Amino acid sequence: MSAEALRQALAALGIHGSVEARGALAILTLHGDGAPLRDRELRARAVALASENGFTNLALEVSDSSGEGAALHRD
Amino acid sequence: MDETLATELAVDVREKEKRLAAWLGEQPSVLLGFSGGVDSAYLGCVAVETLGKERTLAAIGRSPSYPDEQWATARSIAERVGLPILEVDTHEMDDPRYAANPTNRCYFCKTELWTVLQRVARERGIATIIDGTNADDRSDWRPGTQAAREHEIRSPLAEVGMTKAEIRFLSRQRGLPTWSKPSSPCLSSRLPYGTPVTAPRLRQVELAESALRELGVVGDLRVRHHGDLARVELDRRELDDWLEPARLAALRNAVTSAGFERVALDLRGFRSGSLNVLGGVSAA
Repeated sequence: MSAEALRQALAALGIHGSVEARGALAILTLHGDGAPLRDRELRARAVALASENGFTNLALEVSDSSGEGAALHRD
Repeated sequence: MDETLATELAVDVREKEKRLAAWLGEQPSVLLGFSGGVDSAYLGCVAVETLGKERTLAAIGRSPSYPDEQWATARSIAERVGLPILEVDTHEMDDPRYAANPTNRCYFCKTELWTVLQRVARERGIATIIDGTNADDRSDWRPGTQAAREHEIRSPLAEVGMTKAEIRFLSRQRGLPTWSKPSSPCLSSRLPYGTPVTAPRLRQVELAESALRELGVVGDLRVRHHGDLARVELDRRELDDWLEPARLAALRNAVTSAGFERVALDLRGFRSGSLNVLGGVSAA
């Protein structure tokens, strides 16, 4: 189970961010908004990668900045 | 689905319902462990219809692990179907074996519940204690089942082979609002095994889930407690919508308002028993 290996695998998919391991839970913090993960197929591949790297769950951290895109939309 | 097949299935399900009513009809009286969920609501409805109010009693076990919203639903359902209820306090939180949150935590909770209900049954001369375990439940990891066996609790839905889907179908036929209700196990199921069960942690989960419901979350929902971090599991069909930036921000606000510092959205969505998987109790 390696957070770094998962981070690299996700980056190769075009999902850029940092990965924190909490036991078998991987927490992904994206650089940028969550747009790539709105693609269902890409999301499924990301979850599969987490599984291949020994994690049972992959969760997207929802940070303070996760809603920034919303402000842009409203503007 | 082919219309003939659908008709045959409906006939088969109604046959099971007849067997259920016959089973209940053989009991002098029943005390039902009643949560107000899909299974016990349906069972309570058939029980009171078969045995009448004088021979049926539904008991709601109240403790911090039982959400207020579910308690309100249970009372409302009971009133709707004319099911007499009795509310009893249970004290599983005082049992250190339960509070330590081992993988067989449910065993200690159910042991407390069934011990209390056995006393009630004895005092009131009620012959049989029943629960809403269905045929599907028997294939799951359910340490609570052992406690039921030890206390001679009967599970008529399982005994007549009725599955969750069939109970939903029959509930809908009867106009029970629970027919489409998501499963809602006790709040302690949101804490990873080994994380002590405390009233403040349960309250935090309850507040977060309640805030998310108010925000418009529908279908299955679990807020899993990982200390400072809440991991939110939503119905998979809802995930696309909730990954929109504005909704993510609203989701975060709702969950942090319950006292969590960090919020994460599970990208696989809701999975029943996901903490069993995370804790290595069952396969991914």
